[in-house]
Amino acid sequence: MNARSLVLCLLTRPGAATGLILLLLQVVAILFASHIARFSPVDADPLSATLPPGGVHWFGTDELGMDVFSRVVFATRINLLISFAAVGASLAIGVPAGLLIGYYKGFLSTAVLRVFDFLQSFPIFVLGMALVAVLGQEIWSVVIALSLLFVPMFGRLVRAEVLSLRERPFVAAARCAGANDLEIMVAHILPNAITPVIVQVSVAIGMAILLTAGLSFIGAGVRMPSPEWGLMVSNGAQQMILGVWWISLFPGLAIVVSVLSFALLADAVRDLTDPRAQGGRRAGGP
Amino acid sequence: MHVLSLWHTLPRPLRIVVMRCLMIVPQMLGVTLVAFLLVRLLPGDPARLILGNFATADSIRLMRERLGLDQSLPVQAERYLVSVLHGDLGVSPFTSNPVIVDLAQRAPATLELIVYAMVLTFVFAVTMAVLSVVKPGGISDGLTRIYGLAAGAIPDFWVALLLVFFLFHTLGWVPAPFGRIDAMLTPPPTVTGFLTVDSLLAGDMADFRSASARLVLPVLTIAIVNAGALMKMAQISFRDAYRSEFVTQLRMSGVPERQIVRVALRNALPPIISQTAFITGFLLGAAVLVETVFAWGGLGQYAVQAVANSDYAAVQGFVLVASAFVLIVYSVADILYELADPRIRV
Repeated sequence: MNARSLVLCLLTRPGAATGLILLLLQVVAILFASHIARFSPVDADPLSATLPPGGVHWFGTDELGMDVFSRVVFATRINLLISFAAVGASLAIGVPAGLLIGYYKGFLSTAVLRVFDFLQSFPIFVLGMALVAVLGQEIWSVVIALSLLFVPMFGRLVRAEVLSLRERPFVAAARCAGANDLEIMVAHILPNAITPVIVQVSVAIGMAILLTAGLSFIGAGVRMPSPEWGLMVSNGAQQMILGVWWISLFPGLAIVVSVLSFALLADAVRDLTDPRAQGGRRAGGP
Repeated sequence: MHVLSLWHTLPRPLRIVVMRCLMIVPQMLGVTLVAFLLVRLLPGDPARLILGNFATADSIRLMRERLGLDQSLPVQAERYLVSVLHGDLGVSPFTSNPVIVDLAQRAPATLELIVYAMVLTFVFAVTMAVLSVVKPGGISDGLTRIYGLAAGAIPDFWVALLLVFFLFHTLGWVPAPFGRIDAMLTPPPTVTGFLTVDSLLAGDMADFRSASARLVLPVLTIAIVNAGALMKMAQISFRDAYRSEFVTQLRMSGVPERQIVRVALRNALPPIISQTAFITGFLLGAAVLVETVFAWGGLGQYAVQAVANSDYAAVQGFVLVASAFVLIVYSVADILYELADPRIRV
């Protein structure tokens, strides 16, 4: 697909275009945080604590007098760093693992699959919570915990794809042409299995953002004073009952925007690459 | 052969239930082992954690011996299995109660929340799905599309706080989000552990009103956040059934629309049941966040405290109970699935 048809596709799909714009918004926030934010994200100013949104503090200030807008902008870095690192790590482990256990049948493959089953049979959030508790409250503990949750997801996905591709004629053809197992897996099967993985990456990033925020919310994730969306929502939680809405509202909105952008992009990729989904939608439309 | 023929004389529903219950035993064994491994294989020494930073090497050694940590892993695993079978999940150093007592005390609070939340989620999701399919292009169709997209992106703890702000602070429709029942009231005597049921059994209407009012916000939170996924699933499944040939046949035969919807829904039910089970299993984890916001005092809040205190026994106990809960929910769903789809042979 060339660049022009991609642009055309985006213009005719409002969902995909919205997702892309929201994503660009986050990229801008990450790159130019120090130019956009008017205050330091970690400096408290007790004299201007709990101010409502206004001309100076666009999103108001929290209990400690930290500027909510600046913190929301800077938090984009930490939240997306954690999510991308976790999804990247689980891709690096999950995709090769899925390829291997899909391609080779045997005791080891079954064993790995059972391990995945067990990891997935635990409530995802509880597992993450326990892991962070034991590993210590560091950003990297959150990344490791999230990766452990996502590795089985990618592993199973790739395995399912490989199982359906393994017996196809083109694989037999490659084997006849003298390709060894590694070449077949990497050069022939993987490219055909990659689309659902890309969709899943987008979904997983959204999940990772929500899980990170949830972990920080209960105090098992990123710690103060680091700007992180879930942590900021939790800082404002007590005040919400008293009617101080801005401390929690804005970081929560940031979470929604961020997760939504990745969900929209996942939908777009799915639509673009799966002709069945398009046909289904057209037939399902009014 | 004799046993087999006897087996087939049993009614189908009974066969489904028995088969499924037999499968629970090995699954439960596996889950227990993983709960053990999860906590034991992670870095960190429970003895040191229990005794704190100022413990001497001698007292740590003694504690390790007492906890059985000096034994080999299989021996430890066997010990853990045996003690779990005897209902012994260890003692929490923070509440100084046996973990199983702590968990049993708090389980009804969480279960009550999950049961009501799941009923609301199911009714809401299926109603929206049916409406959007029966009247495509209508308002409900558009709304469900937007809601289905947004619901997956909203953090539950944030929705909870927004509801607190609007329904408690601004409108004053619901009581303050502190616990399951008004602290001024004496809770009803425990029969089922569900405050709404117990208060009715005791005939105490003040308790019943307070308990139900306190349920509104957390139940609404869970339903809003989780109904989206179920609704999308139900839409796909119901749309397939509603557009299939037998529905056209029924319509041509002059069967009233209400009845057609009912028949189509009945056929669309199996995948909806599995998705409902999946969400219910997931809810125990989600309840952790919602319980924290509403000071619910259930299993979720207990787990949060246990994690904050590095209370290994309690964390392990919670993980075990949570996985057992998921297992039971999935089993019940499998049974319902097989009952709902008569084509499945047992």
